[in-house]
Amino acid sequence: MKVLPVSYRLAVTSRVLAAVLGGYIVAALASVSLTLWVPMARADAVVTGMMTSFLAYLGAVIWCFACRSAWQAWLGLIVSSLVLAATSGLAYWMGLS
Amino acid sequence: MLLSLLLCYGAFTALCLSMDRHHAELLGGKPTARRRRLLKLGGWLLLALSLWAAVSSTGWGLGLVEWCAVLMLSALLLVLLMPYRPRLALSMAALSLLVSPVAAFAQY
Amino acid sequence: MKEGFRQAMAWLHTWAGLIFGWLLFSIFLTGTLAYFKDEISHWMQPEIPARSVTSEASLNVAQNYLQQHAAGASRWLIDLPDAREPGLSVRWQQTPAKRGERGQFTEKLLDPQTGAEVQGRATTGGEFFYRFHFQLQMPYPWGRWLSTIAAMVMFVALISGIITHKKIFKDFFTFRPRKGQRSWLDGHNAVGVLVLPFHLMITYSSLVIFMSMVMPASILAAYNGDARAFYDEVFPASTTPERADQPAPLASLAPLLEKAREQWSGGRVGRLTVNNPGDANASVVLVRDGADRVVHDFGSAVTFNGVTGQLLGTTPEQSLPRAIAGSFYGLHMGHFAGPVLRWLYFICGLAGTAMIGTGLVIWLGKRQLKHAKSAVMPFELRLVEVLNIASMSGLMVAVAVFFWANRVLPVEMAGRADWEVNGFFIAWGLSLLHAMVRRGRAAWVEQLALAALLFGAVPLLNALTTPFHLGNALAQGDWAMAGFDLTCLGSGVFFAWAAWKMQRSGRAEIVTQVRARPITLEREAN
Repeated sequence: MKVLPVSYRLAVTSRVLAAVLGGYIVAALASVSLTLWVPMARADAVVTGMMTSFLAYLGAVIWCFACRSAWQAWLGLIVSSLVLAATSGLAYWMGLS
Repeated sequence: MLLSLLLCYGAFTALCLSMDRHHAELLGGKPTARRRRLLKLGGWLLLALSLWAAVSSTGWGLGLVEWCAVLMLSALLLVLLMPYRPRLALSMAALSLLVSPVAAFAQY
Repeated sequence: MKEGFRQAMAWLHTWAGLIFGWLLFSIFLTGTLAYFKDEISHWMQPEIPARSVTSEASLNVAQNYLQQHAAGASRWLIDLPDAREPGLSVRWQQTPAKRGERGQFTEKLLDPQTGAEVQGRATTGGEFFYRFHFQLQMPYPWGRWLSTIAAMVMFVALISGIITHKKIFKDFFTFRPRKGQRSWLDGHNAVGVLVLPFHLMITYSSLVIFMSMVMPASILAAYNGDARAFYDEVFPASTTPERADQPAPLASLAPLLEKAREQWSGGRVGRLTVNNPGDANASVVLVRDGADRVVHDFGSAVTFNGVTGQLLGTTPEQSLPRAIAGSFYGLHMGHFAGPVLRWLYFICGLAGTAMIGTGLVIWLGKRQLKHAKSAVMPFELRLVEVLNIASMSGLMVAVAVFFWANRVLPVEMAGRADWEVNGFFIAWGLSLLHAMVRRGRAAWVEQLALAALLFGAVPLLNALTTPFHLGNALAQGDWAMAGFDLTCLGSGVFFAWAAWKMQRSGRAEIVTQVRARPITLEREAN
């Protein structure tokens, strides 16, 4: 097996961390955002948010490995998190919780 | 479930035969464009019929579950049987379609 | 860029599949076995008879028993028998000494026909496989977390696999045996694609089942951190009235079954809870059996006054999101499945297990080809080989040892239930050691042969150690008992075939290697 350069291994590790940890945060924020915005009874909104969160997690993981660099992976997750956090905050501020 | 299974197995065999490679393996030679179209149409029609057979007898909830199960099982059976006993796979399809009116009668 | 995307997904599929493959294989295998956990438990406790009695009759039996033995208890719980679980289980909770404290629970298993206590040999039975597949024998809640993480990885592996499979429609019916690595890949694709609806359902539903635990952000956000309020809304605890401290005779419970069925327009009662029996404010909560429909309705219950039979309350109809969650739960558990559908669940589960197993074999096989010439395998590949053997054939041996322990350990032995489980893990551990000291192919052949021997001999072992052998079981129409013996026999035949194939392909390799050497010698001579 040919020896892989350290930079490659670091890039892979970075993508994995982004996918696992960053992906979880994106999924949680997506879940909260959907829960606060969807016009349903509270318990139903929570159930809907949680059920769909795993699709967001999947999307985040695929993004982390499909994009061109590890930096792009983190950037994509950070931007998504900010957008989702903003929409959640907006819903909260509007009293939709 | 039996009627649905018989129709489904026949459907998958038809769809399989509509592919050049498998048609050559099972019946020798490529299918004509007309035959290919007929097999494809027939296959999809039989699939729709098998769905109807499953749902009409047990309702949408359980019926859909049974149809999916029948779908997966008949596909597995066909694919695993074909390379070992191609003629048996074909004759079983013919038999299923022949027996299906009997199964339909028994179901309703 | 498209090529890059597919390649990236192929990389993701390969590595996610490898790292979690060993764990996922054991989860899938034990989960598949769990579909027949009641039948397995029946085989492992053959002393408990399987009787068919109406719900009303067994409820009367239970009530009489509890009236005699637990009249002063604060709560009775009665689990009615059904087609797969023939036992009538009664539990009662003693009135706690201090308010707010939990009273002590006592549990008894009754013969639903006679009301006599039945005592099967102590065993975890099929429940062991059921619990292992999501708790992994780890302390709460770590096992559940790990198995749910594994489920998410499985989901990623499934989707990345679909993306990677270029000719998913063209190769839908393709399976070319006897072509080495090509056949393994065809097989992996076949059990993957053809059974895809099941794999996607089982994986996503396992995420939904534990979603409150792993993804609680929504609960905390919507309920301002009060998770308890969420659970109270989703599982409406049937409000039961307080003790009146006035003695009043408990009415017969059997008629309440029909009343509950009216509320549910059909359906069946699974469990009854009698609060404060013998008190004027006694209440009876009837919970619906999960097995009578596909969509699982959490906490669907009807409450009656225990003395007058008056309806006190019902749980509301399921909303659409909760019905969807209930569908995931119901589809995963498969409680509703009759015998034919249950076997189909089992076959699909085996297909999923085979998908993972073939994947692990392909991962190693591809890389082994590159090192075929050198005598020693690099450490990483040797590690994968050992883990492959131990997690697959080793696990099969462990399952067989679990069943053997049930028949071999003395019935009266203290802690025998724990020792059956210990036997499972000891056998699994030994298989790991065996895989470490033996060469790859030899380890496979030996472990598969051992599994073949142990499984194949189960009917004989059963006949030698109990009177409930195959002949008797078939004569009495005890299909669960007979089915278990026959399935073990069939598995034994399968493992014997697998061991034989493994050994044959090993010899074929040696022959080609021997033939290759004279040719190179000739060339050198020239």
